[in-house]
Amino acid sequence: MFNPVAKMPLFRLAARNARRNTRRSLLTAIAILVAVMSVTFTFGYVGGAINDMMDIYARTQSGHVRITHKEYPDRERFLPLHLNVPHVSELLPIIRTHPAVEGVVARIRTAVLIDFQNENSPGLLIGADFERELGYFDILDMVVEGRAPQPGSAEILIGAILAEQLEVAVGDTLILLGQTAYRSMGGIRAEVTGMARSGLDPVDRNVLFMPLDQVQLMTDLHDGTTEILVFAEDPEQAGLLANSLKAELDGLVIGGLEIQTWKDQGALVQMMESSGSIFGVVIFILMLMAGLIIINTMLMTVLERTQEFGMLSAMGMRRGNIVALILNEGLVIGIVGALLGGIIGSGLSLWLEQHGFNISAAMEGMDFPMKNIIYSDWKLIHPIIGFFVGIATAVGATLIPARRIVRLKPAEALRGK
Amino acid sequence: MRTFSINHRLLGIALLACGLTAASGTICPAGAQPDPEEILRRIDSNIMISSARMTARMSVQYSNGETRTMEFISWSQGTDRSFLEFTSPPRDAGSRFLRIDSNRMWIFLPRVGKSVRIQGHMLRQGLMGSDFSFGDATENPSMVDDYSAIMEREEILNDRSTFVLYLEAKRDDLAYPSRRIWVDSQHWLPLKEERYAKSGKLLKTMILGDVRRVGDRWYPFRLELNNALQADTSTTLQIIEMELDIPIPAEVFTLRNLEGGDE
Repeated sequence: MFNPVAKMPLFRLAARNARRNTRRSLLTAIAILVAVMSVTFTFGYVGGAINDMMDIYARTQSGHVRITHKEYPDRERFLPLHLNVPHVSELLPIIRTHPAVEGVVARIRTAVLIDFQNENSPGLLIGADFERELGYFDILDMVVEGRAPQPGSAEILIGAILAEQLEVAVGDTLILLGQTAYRSMGGIRAEVTGMARSGLDPVDRNVLFMPLDQVQLMTDLHDGTTEILVFAEDPEQAGLLANSLKAELDGLVIGGLEIQTWKDQGALVQMMESSGSIFGVVIFILMLMAGLIIINTMLMTVLERTQEFGMLSAMGMRRGNIVALILNEGLVIGIVGALLGGIIGSGLSLWLEQHGFNISAAMEGMDFPMKNIIYSDWKLIHPIIGFFVGIATAVGATLIPARRIVRLKPAEALRGK
Repeated sequence: MRTFSINHRLLGIALLACGLTAASGTICPAGAQPDPEEILRRIDSNIMISSARMTARMSVQYSNGETRTMEFISWSQGTDRSFLEFTSPPRDAGSRFLRIDSNRMWIFLPRVGKSVRIQGHMLRQGLMGSDFSFGDATENPSMVDDYSAIMEREEILNDRSTFVLYLEAKRDDLAYPSRRIWVDSQHWLPLKEERYAKSGKLLKTMILGDVRRVGDRWYPFRLELNNALQADTSTTLQIIEMELDIPIPAEVFTLRNLEGGDE
């Protein structure tokens, strides 16, 4: 049987057809372009933000593994000093020599009342070994004015926003009141030697840093701490490291220790871990919108060209081939839109990887471990995923109007019905 | 500054009006409804002090069975002025608290070496980690001046006949906008007290015991306090020694004394 399209390159024919109504094809291509661009950009930008948050969370709060008193996590919101880890000077060397450990830091976090010029303000005091914190909670890198406190001296590094609010300057003396490990009242009088700006709003607004030995003195936590943060050589192996440390440290501390990986410590990491499903929803919504536009434009194409399809059918062209022709038209437009969308989305993502996006106004007052400037994290896989999802959407959405051709009777089609 | 002493004449008139003597331990004849305001007045006549010096032991019991015990000496005058100094354990010895009125309170910690004025929500924080807030430990309010009372019912509490009164603050600046008290009908002392927030939420429950005769009044020598917001602790305050209505030099209630200037 004669088949006029048997050897006809459908793709070339579809490409030519796509140019017949440039405006409509352009609309369809733009829908795909915007969707693919958004997918590519969202992957890079949100991925960058999440990676940033997880990194900050690990460095400032959770470590990859955190060691606390057994009961501390349940009562953490009160920052209870009596639930502490004692004998730190004995525990730290044991942990440091573990082959899977990259670094270990001991910190004390405690709520304090800041007294300055007869005014009381709340604050969060962090006692830390500043040298050992390099690469983790980079306290020394945060100093924007003055200098960092010296171990052995009652000196304070204060968050820049907090200092501004209290009208505290370098050289001023603050009195800090708080609880002790014996649940009594402790305090210290210390000089402000510097201002810190971390780029993290909750830190710059609330936190005061002091050398660990001084906070131990103030809180009666001699050789004790509220938490030990362990950083793994491979963060993905944090679970194995936690189990190994549990076995190694078991029985060394009366009352017991709680050893948790960062993923076990709170909803934040788990939420960020489940970001894959959020991406899925975003992609679905974007593609649904693009798909609806494509269905609409292709349906118009099919309606307009009913007689043409009737003619092709009357000339012996199989319905399957007519459907393939329409699908190829969707494919051609999809490729153009997806390609351009991937390129533009990648360009945006790469630009933000260099320059970042300042969200400080939105972050003001938010207790979230997120920097004020978010940098994108572009990966080649992002436009590739966007490209294929875009093409699949274009072709998939074209199927719906193409189904109409299957039901078409040549005689009716020729009459334009 | 206000000072308080028992107005015996007023008390006598009130008792005569009920047709009974103070020794009988009741305000009104059986079946008659006692006047809630008169009950408050009689509580005040037991509890309100013009001045006092006391030595007390404060024990904080934790839910894990642990107990922390501290001792202090306090001087108080009128409704607002008080000075309190911890004497043990050694790590807390020398910690002092001065209150001059409801808005002016200072802490002195030896390791800080300077007095710190505390205000606002800090006054509601636990004194040395106990269930007593700084306000609880240092204020000496007048029931009849600060609260209006409604008689709710009569109740037997620990084999004692009590009147249950619901109190509402007459002023906005009081730490507890409402209270419910179980008043011993013989000694005219609250044996139990519930203190509520503005929302009606129960904040603290206090049990008073070891009631002793001191001069012409009855006084509770033991107070047990449970803070609903501090679920893992309860605090017992046991008065070891108390002197009432004694002259206290004005210098006691000064910042100079707080910072150890007279030592």
